[in-house]
Amino acid sequence: MAIATQKTAAETAYLEGFDAGGDWLAAERQKGFDAFAVTGLPHRRMEDWKWTDLRQLIGKAYPPAKGGAVGDIDALAAKCPLKDIARGHLTFVNGEYDAGRSQLPASGDVEVTALSTASSALPIGETAADPIDGLNRAYVTDGAFIRIKAGSNADAPLELVFINSSRAEATFTTRNVIELEDGASATVFETHMGGHDAYVSNSVTEVRLGNGARLDRVKLQMEGAASYHLSNLKADLGAEAKLQDFTLTMGSATTRQQGFITFNGEHTDATVSGAFLLNRKQHNDTRLVVDHKVPNCVSRELFKCVMDDEARGIFQGKVIVRQDAQKTDGKQSSHALLLSPTAEFDAKPELEIYADDVVCGHGATSGDLDENLLFYLRARGIPEKKAKSMLISAFVAESFDDVDNEAVRDVLKDLADSWLAAR
Amino acid sequence: MLEIKNLHVSVEEDNKAILNGVDLTVNAGEVHAIMGPNGSGKSTLSYVLAGKDGYEVTDGSVTYMGKDLLEMAPDERAAEGVFLAFQYPIEIPGVATMQFLKVALNSQRLARGEGELSTPDFMRLVKSRAETLKVNQDMLKRPVNVGFSGGEKKRAEILQMAVLEPSLCILDETDSGLDIDALRVVAEGVNALRSPDRAMVVITHYQRLLDYIVPDHVHVLSKGRIVKSGGKELAQELEKDGYANYSDEAA
Ligand SMILES: Nc1ncnc2c1ncn2[C@@H]1O[C@H](COP(=O)(O)OP(=O)(O)O)[C@@H](O)[C@H]1O
Ligand SMILES: [Mg+2]
Repeated sequence: MAIATQKTAAETAYLEGFDAGGDWLAAERQKGFDAFAVTGLPHRRMEDWKWTDLRQLIGKAYPPAKGGAVGDIDALAAKCPLKDIARGHLTFVNGEYDAGRSQLPASGDVEVTALSTASSALPIGETAADPIDGLNRAYVTDGAFIRIKAGSNADAPLELVFINSSRAEATFTTRNVIELEDGASATVFETHMGGHDAYVSNSVTEVRLGNGARLDRVKLQMEGAASYHLSNLKADLGAEAKLQDFTLTMGSATTRQQGFITFNGEHTDATVSGAFLLNRKQHNDTRLVVDHKVPNCVSRELFKCVMDDEARGIFQGKVIVRQDAQKTDGKQSSHALLLSPTAEFDAKPELEIYADDVVCGHGATSGDLDENLLFYLRARGIPEKKAKSMLISAFVAESFDDVDNEAVRDVLKDLADSWLAAR
Repeated sequence: MLEIKNLHVSVEEDNKAILNGVDLTVNAGEVHAIMGPNGSGKSTLSYVLAGKDGYEVTDGSVTYMGKDLLEMAPDERAAEGVFLAFQYPIEIPGVATMQFLKVALNSQRLARGEGELSTPDFMRLVKSRAETLKVNQDMLKRPVNVGFSGGEKKRAEILQMAVLEPSLCILDETDSGLDIDALRVVAEGVNALRSPDRAMVVITHYQRLLDYIVPDHVHVLSKGRIVKSGGKELAQELEKDGYANYSDEAA
């Protein structure tokens, strides 16, 4: 965490573009800025960032910005794959709440507010020693605050839509809070879409689950092809709670997404899974830290990653089992399918176990398509391209099984199939 | 229909010669049995006919329906009517059996310039074939061969054959791993497909299957060559005397 001696253009733009503002977020922004001013952008000499040197990768200046969207926002909004399944929508365009593209659920038990419209302070989460969180806190312009009252459910899915499209290089920063009180349940989609010019998107979601609460979250990362997507999921889980989290990553040139899952109450289950569909020179570095602080919890992580052309996928998964966390059951696996000799996958699984009565494991595989499977399909008359598509689709779809909602699974399959059809 | 001449095949990886001059002519309407000790090259012959990678044809030719079979891609061969029932059918996780069958059948139909079969017509076809072969609906709902017993896998191969209606059926040890009842069901399924314009090459280690699928010709493959050919009585002879006269040990 050394202070960067020489600031990059991007860092200078962030430092000079800071404005705490006069609203209830001013103090939070100042905290984020102070943290960022010390660390600067993360770089490869930081252990967790060795594959994704943001100081190097974000070459140009992307000053913090808000609004001013260009291009066909309607077309991007119309392309959101989950829009017909969702029952409520909250849309942010270039980091700014768009009331015209939002329909909020009308229920007193479900509180949904855009941060920019809140008149008093909302709990947006403690500061974390993390560069994405620092940047996010410093430059947050808007985001969704969702609170489900104890015992009520918002199972009709609510969709948070983020559309970024800017001709000028800019950084758009949103922050969301999903707070489920005891016994509450909700399904929340996050859809990230973008135009084709380069921009940086920074989006953090804070999840707080009370005792017995359940959240199903599905994130689609379909940002513009030249963009950078930086994001955190931070989830703090109470007792007997359940988190089902799924992320499909297809967009952006460079993606760094992180998940910090903490078990604070016993008998809680968390499944964090996802799929990568990457081609060209796309780069996705996914890092998860699952922290078992209490006994009797179950964590599952399954990532199915498909890389074509010169794409590069990275999965860094760490499971920590604290001394008190007996009877922890934690399994993590990442599987990669490399469709070209120049595609690459790196996995760094880590288990840090301080308790003695636990069942934990990890597995990582990486390879190309199985020739015997391919031959079997072709021997039945299926042409090579179609046979490959069927096998790749089957490979990715295994991760979709972690999504309970069948309509969502169908959308995920369609997305994978259209990605394959475009190969 | 099929004419194999002086076929020499070796493994690409280590240049090991496996087939050393196979000659075989199969006419439409005929059933040929190929018998031989383990390791004699029976599966290799079936793979080379189906178009599997990893083998090098160092000499000889294979003509199928007047065309050079070895020039065709595996899926082209299938569309032209070549079908191999695998000795060891593999599991394909995540690919549903019905979807697999439908894509296979319609790919073949498209390649032949026929229209795709509609979903209801396809369902009817599979259902009727599955009933004949006593393949239950539950098997059809699973991914291809996943969780099937050895016998179920073999029956599923014959079901695929019955749905795809090939012209040249190559059955590689379809009898192994089947109990007598299953063997009878499979043989009935195969016999139902016998027709004047279809030929079958039945590869087996044991004579037992040939009690049910009665061949017109029997060939003995040993060390990569057909060393003896005859009528169905040759199979009985082999049953009695074993392969001792043909195996490496005897040589
Ligand atoms: N891919 C391969 N690589 C090396 N050796 C092989 C390969 N395939 C077959 N063989 C060898 O070729 C011989 C014939 O095998 P196979 O055709 O499977 O015989 P069969 O089916 O008659 O038992 C065996 O000695 C086997 O080990
Ligand atoms: Mg064999």
